[in-house]
Amino acid sequence: MSFIKRAILYCARQRLRTAILFLTLTIIASFLLTAIAVRDAAYTAAAGVRTAVGGKIVLEPDTDGNMDAGVQNSWGTVYGYTGDLITPDIVTAISGIDGVAGLNAEDTAAYYGAGVDFGYIPAAFDLSYTPYGEASSYTATLSSEKCAAFQSGKYKLTDGRHIAPGDRRVCLISKELADYNGLSVGGSVKMYSLDTDAVTEFEIIGIFDGTEGTSGNALTVDEIPANRGYIDYATMFELFEDGLSGYQQLTVYADDPTDVQSVCDRISALPELAGKTLKLRIDTEEYDAVSAPLTSLQKSVNMTIIIIAAVGAAISALLLTVRVRGWKTEIGILLSVGVSRANIVLQLFAEAALTAAVSLAAAVPLSGLTAEKAGELLTPANLEVKIGAEYLPPLCIIGFLLIAAAVAVSSWTVVRANPRDILAKIS
Amino acid sequence: MSILEARNAAYSYDGKKAVLKNVTVGFESGKIYAILGPSGCGKTTLLSLLGGLDSPTGGQIIFDGEDISKRGLAFHRKNNVAFIFQNYNLIDYMTPAENVALTSKKPPLPILERLGLTREEAKRNVLRLSGGQQQRVAIARALASSARVILADEPTGNLDEDTAEEIADVLRDCARKLNKCVVIVTHSDKVAKRADETVRLKRGEIYRG
Repeated sequence: MSFIKRAILYCARQRLRTAILFLTLTIIASFLLTAIAVRDAAYTAAAGVRTAVGGKIVLEPDTDGNMDAGVQNSWGTVYGYTGDLITPDIVTAISGIDGVAGLNAEDTAAYYGAGVDFGYIPAAFDLSYTPYGEASSYTATLSSEKCAAFQSGKYKLTDGRHIAPGDRRVCLISKELADYNGLSVGGSVKMYSLDTDAVTEFEIIGIFDGTEGTSGNALTVDEIPANRGYIDYATMFELFEDGLSGYQQLTVYADDPTDVQSVCDRISALPELAGKTLKLRIDTEEYDAVSAPLTSLQKSVNMTIIIIAAVGAAISALLLTVRVRGWKTEIGILLSVGVSRANIVLQLFAEAALTAAVSLAAAVPLSGLTAEKAGELLTPANLEVKIGAEYLPPLCIIGFLLIAAAVAVSSWTVVRANPRDILAKIS
Repeated sequence: MSILEARNAAYSYDGKKAVLKNVTVGFESGKIYAILGPSGCGKTTLLSLLGGLDSPTGGQIIFDGEDISKRGLAFHRKNNVAFIFQNYNLIDYMTPAENVALTSKKPPLPILERLGLTREEAKRNVLRLSGGQQQRVAIARALASSARVILADEPTGNLDEDTAEEIADVLRDCARKLNKCVVIVTHSDKVAKRADETVRLKRGEIYRG
């Protein structure tokens, strides 16, 4: 009789023992499958974050050794930067480099505008220091989508589009301000700047929300977030042509953070930057912050997989050892009829493997349910945990190795024993 | 001519306590042998050495003119000898037919029927058979193999007198009709009387008194 037939007969006839092993292996396999699925979901989510956030390179003036002696005024000594600035030529050159997904220069409160044909949401004090009333601040940006408030999710564009490089005389305003003035995308607003003493008309290309409920008891209109907006950088250069000859800082986004170093190298090799007192640095802070929980989850799940595998092997070995002790009579009989030790170990392995195969089949739907629950528990991480067919080969390999180890450990002492001793003990 | 032979076979535990001392004895095909002796005299040890369940600490076990250690004890157990034990040693989750099939690819039912089991009994779990029936299954398993020597250790020890005599007759028939060499370790005089030859052991040595 072949060892496979003996194994099948054992599994079919020794139902209680087989059921105990089956249940144990099913639970272990379910845990393993769920853990593997969670780990993969975390990897997928991390990859998604990587694509969404991208790698970031910051180009900024190098102030080391490039500051003047300083000017004394009533506030103290004011030092001025004497080096090169980030010019539009440099921005154009960088935007043409391979691997650059986008760029942004963001200057908060770069422009103060008073509403010529619209009004701001009023504050506690009406400080009408311009002919058109009180002014509110606007962030000058090349690409508003990349601005901190939009990146963090604090603000969301509800209508229209973002400011992009090449835009001119455009603005984004808050939904609250738009509703207050009956403004909409496609319309325009006229603003007066005390700094330039000029009225400029801006087209409203986008409306964002996220300012609601943040006004509080503001003293001035500029303290009300809903009154603040975004304008394009090109208009800033037009309005301040004498006082503004470059960007304060430029953030360059790479397609993939893993490619960020080569993009950085390509930027630093640009002739437009040669000899300039500008410095480049790679900023992974944002990606690290967003991906840290996922990386941490991956690490803990990897550890969990190792622990489950180790505990699973130990429990399986223990169960099989108990089984082998009860199996001693059969081993003695099989040895006495000339069945080789290897053939007996193969039978034990086949029994465990057959039970494991059925366990695996049962574990797939069971772990589907646990994976769903795990996905719900991990909702803050936006993980979609699913059991796919691709998990079965690695689980089969892990299971095979675990069973082989458990069988080797459990059968070692008994199979090594002298058949006469085994039979004497049976008697 | 002996098919199975112990030549100066000795066995001791840890090299100190000698269980068998230079035992030389031969067994021929077609004959039934009874090994007799008081408890602890080495009967079962001699049977274990003859069957390749253990190796002698001195001397040789010869089968068909060749030392059994040359081809390995597992080979000897598989091809040359078959065991019958006092407690039957059947695999308890198998049927009689499946137990017989452990040692042979021949159809088990004719052998079992020849030994008095019905077809229905041959498909029952062995634990649902009487002691005599279980021993017949053990004999059937031994006969189904191609072994030329059957080694029986107290095969009637757990059976009532009538059944014991029936089993002894079956074993004698095996020797006579099938030309097997049957070696039985026994305390039973009734079984011993059916033997062609008796070998008496005393304190690990052949006793020729």
